[in-house]
Amino acid sequence: MMKKRLFLIITLLAIILMIFLPYFIGAYLLHVLMTIFIYMSLALSWDMMLRTGQLSFGVAGFFGVGSYASIITCSRFGFNPLVSILFAGFFVALIALGLGFAVLKLRDIYFSITTLAITMVFSVIIRNMPRLTGGASGKVIPNVIFNGDSTKTYWLILSLALITILISEIFNRTKIHFAINSIRNDEIIARSSGINILGYLLFVFIISSALQGMAGAIYTQQYGFVSPETTFSLDFLLLPMAMALVGGIYSTWGSVIGAVVLGFASEYLKLFMPYGHQIIYGIMIVLIILFLPKGIYGSTKDRLVTYKIEKLSLSE
Amino acid sequence: MLNLEKTNKSLKKTLIAFIIFLIIVGIWKPLALVYGIQRGGLYSLIGLPLALILGIVGILNLAHGDFLTLGLYIGYIFYSSWSIDPIISMIPLFFILFGLGTVLYSILIKNVLKAGHLNQLLLTFGISMIIIELIKIIWTTRPRSVYTSYASSSVTLGNMSIGMYEFIYPAMAIAVLVILQFFLKKTRLGQAASAVGQNPKGAEIVGINTNVVYLVVFSIAFGIIGISAAVMLPRTAIFPLSGNSYTLKSFALAAMAGLGNLNGILIGGITLGIAEAIVQSIPGYEGWSDVVFFGILIAVILLNAYRRPE
Amino acid sequence: MKRIFLVMMSLLMVFSFALAAEKPIKIGAVNPLGDITGDQATKAMKLAVKEINDAGGVLGRPIELIVIDDEMNPAKGAAAIERLATVENVDFFVGGMGSGVHLAQVPILKKYQKITVWIGAASHQAEIAMGPDADWYFHLHPWDYQQGEGYGVGWTEIVHAYPEVKIEKVFLAYEEGAFGTDSYTSYIDLYEEAKRGEGSWKEVLKEFKGASFKSAALGGGDYRAMLNQAKSFNPDLFIWAGYDADAIPIVAQAREVNFQPPLFVGAPPGWPADFGKNPLSNNVILYGMWAPTLNEVSAVAKHFYDSYVEMWKEEPATYFAPLGYTNIYFLVEGIKKAGSLDKNAIIEALRTIEYESPLGEVLKIEPSRIIKNQGFKYQKILQWQNGKQEVIWPLDLATTQLVYPFKFGK
Repeated sequence: MMKKRLFLIITLLAIILMIFLPYFIGAYLLHVLMTIFIYMSLALSWDMMLRTGQLSFGVAGFFGVGSYASIITCSRFGFNPLVSILFAGFFVALIALGLGFAVLKLRDIYFSITTLAITMVFSVIIRNMPRLTGGASGKVIPNVIFNGDSTKTYWLILSLALITILISEIFNRTKIHFAINSIRNDEIIARSSGINILGYLLFVFIISSALQGMAGAIYTQQYGFVSPETTFSLDFLLLPMAMALVGGIYSTWGSVIGAVVLGFASEYLKLFMPYGHQIIYGIMIVLIILFLPKGIYGSTKDRLVTYKIEKLSLSE
Repeated sequence: MLNLEKTNKSLKKTLIAFIIFLIIVGIWKPLALVYGIQRGGLYSLIGLPLALILGIVGILNLAHGDFLTLGLYIGYIFYSSWSIDPIISMIPLFFILFGLGTVLYSILIKNVLKAGHLNQLLLTFGISMIIIELIKIIWTTRPRSVYTSYASSSVTLGNMSIGMYEFIYPAMAIAVLVILQFFLKKTRLGQAASAVGQNPKGAEIVGINTNVVYLVVFSIAFGIIGISAAVMLPRTAIFPLSGNSYTLKSFALAAMAGLGNLNGILIGGITLGIAEAIVQSIPGYEGWSDVVFFGILIAVILLNAYRRPE
Repeated sequence: MKRIFLVMMSLLMVFSFALAAEKPIKIGAVNPLGDITGDQATKAMKLAVKEINDAGGVLGRPIELIVIDDEMNPAKGAAAIERLATVENVDFFVGGMGSGVHLAQVPILKKYQKITVWIGAASHQAEIAMGPDADWYFHLHPWDYQQGEGYGVGWTEIVHAYPEVKIEKVFLAYEEGAFGTDSYTSYIDLYEEAKRGEGSWKEVLKEFKGASFKSAALGGGDYRAMLNQAKSFNPDLFIWAGYDADAIPIVAQAREVNFQPPLFVGAPPGWPADFGKNPLSNNVILYGMWAPTLNEVSAVAKHFYDSYVEMWKEEPATYFAPLGYTNIYFLVEGIKKAGSLDKNAIIEALRTIEYESPLGEVLKIEPSRIIKNQGFKYQKILQWQNGKQEVIWPLDLATTQLVYPFKFGK
């Protein structure tokens, strides 16, 4: 009981610290943190889908559609930037709902490649609609959100990250947790327990996609432009995946730690090694996978548990 | 994992439908048929090794295309340092990539077999990054090329000039497929490999050394990547990302054909190649060829999923 | 006598300490170090910095160049500007290459409003993003629409100078991404103008057609469908706008398809390492800003080339090398002319400087469509002859005659 309250107090203090951070650190570090939080939201939302047993390769697609939804409603229909971000989340959720009915019957690599194929299709369709989307040249908006105020933009991105963490924890602690785990482990048993598999999959799919769409919308509002090549870049799929895996899948902390570790590494490595720093990044990933197969958080948790068990058995 | 349900009957049906399709396209847009068969043959040739590793060893190799790039660079070295013709370099390239596959498997892949698909995926992603960066450091991003006089040879039919060289792609794809099928069905090791692909645990119980099977299959697949690199050499620009896009296309092919269906890779590859070529030949709609490629992919996968009983 | 000597010595020591303790003028550069363009631009900048410091620096102070890799990634490029501004506290921003990266940097550059002399970003989108009020922003690279206009001037002059050359039908093959599409929209605008009897292409652009292709750099590499379209259009001038990876396959496939236009022009941002050695390259025309043969007609170009080779033991392979050198020298000339680090003084000075650059032409600042401070407007028309890039136009910088019509080598 005490431990839970202690944990809650620490979490609250951490959140307050995060909120007041802009007053202590410089613009550069703030910028790096903003990028990390965006990738963290992507990694976490991808992990949420993964917990149902479905490996989605559609992150970049929803990110891109959310980006375009936000910028088009802003520049064409005069939406307020914040409203356009919410709209983007809603719009992507609708698309995920529609797609989900068809695609969530697929399993394993078939689901994965289909979500990846859908990403490519989104990207090419958007590229071929120049009057609406600016086509291959992309679109620029005259003013970035909050007129470039780093602190406010940081708070916006921090909010997204905190909401994503909150949703991830809800998925991990309520009875949703049991349903999702059950689906992942064995669908036949889950179905015979009366769990509506398609319902749960749709639910998680819609929420994770909406989060990815909002991340895309915020990213676009922060920099003020979209283009098919940069907005639908597979970096927005592969890097969050790597972060979640390196940190430890099936957990909130895993994606958080992974995003922080890989995010800082990718930014600061190049300051020490102007040429070839990507090799170090790749080697880091390979080493972590070989020696910490459960990710940083996963392996640490395991070690803590073993340690506790040993301590307990010693004290017997 | 391997699907032995493909009976001879359904294979014959698919073949007949395929040939009818070819004839229709040949009459409507002959050049698109030629280009489609050529490019599609290339997709099939490069897709076979990925499908092999995915089907039998169970690993999705995200570094697949980057090893192809590596093969291209090695072939380039043969050409620029010792004037070895690209087609001839097929032989050393097969063995070099074969060896590379063996080393890669023994040092890295073996260790993650137990750790699950995701870890394997991430490992190959890390390897892909390392290879691309290594190539950038050694050779920079500037493209290189290998010149052969026969690469642009063509035959004139009426007012169409049909390139001859790229027919080597479907030819090699068919040759490799035939050899692979022979290996998998008629040799002891190949039959063991099929068994492992279908049911790894069951195969172990029966006494098959899965480790050796994985090693051999992995190495053979890499050898085929070497062959692909050799035939691509005269027609491809060689730069750090030359092969990268083929990973996605190979993955798409393997999924469309269905795991274990190697024949499907050939038919699927050529079909997709032709579909792409048809779209590209329509003025003003060239940019839509990707939509057609991935659209067909999605359609086939969904159709298969809904046709299969629960 | 001794006392005077001692006083002199101590004064000298104080003086030299004061000089050594002079804080350097900091210039921050953001370049794509992983690509040959950014790599060589950086090396050329370092060469320029060394030369300037060896000659005594600027305003009695040395200059210090701090380079951060943008990794061709927009967010990283933006973060690099933030770091240079707030952690390294630079006084000026230079460098650049990609347009996408620059679009992300624009809002941040606007935040700090330091004097920025940029050699990247050809896309008109970047100009739209920057807007007309950025007096502190100097853009040296020609915009996409300016390049198109320049070639109209060039081809018209060539048609007058070489009577056997005839140009009426133009076909543009463009890669389907942002780079190629920007080229296509520029040509469409120029064609509309020419149809009305206006613009630089009015004499040489009677019929125009465009077709897109997937660049080899982005997973394509099969141009035959597009080449067949070009073949049936039968143009006098064929241009392809793609990347260096397309250069050789496109010529090889044109030969396979038996498409041999009288003028075969490539417009990639760079060329493959061994293009000149490839027999297919002979008499291919290229759009570019620089070629090593300029050493024959420009002393500044020759000095740059020889110094670069001596310092880095490699040859400059892309126009970004002399452009990077120009970047630093142009900024430094502005500071020298202003005589101080006052921002407005430097802006005024930069607007009036004429700098003879190793690109073979004089760099002057003029307004472009939206911004006030634009540098180079036009590029050059060159031709591969016997493995070397020769300058054909501007005619006063020409290193040889045009070979016409284009024929595939054996």
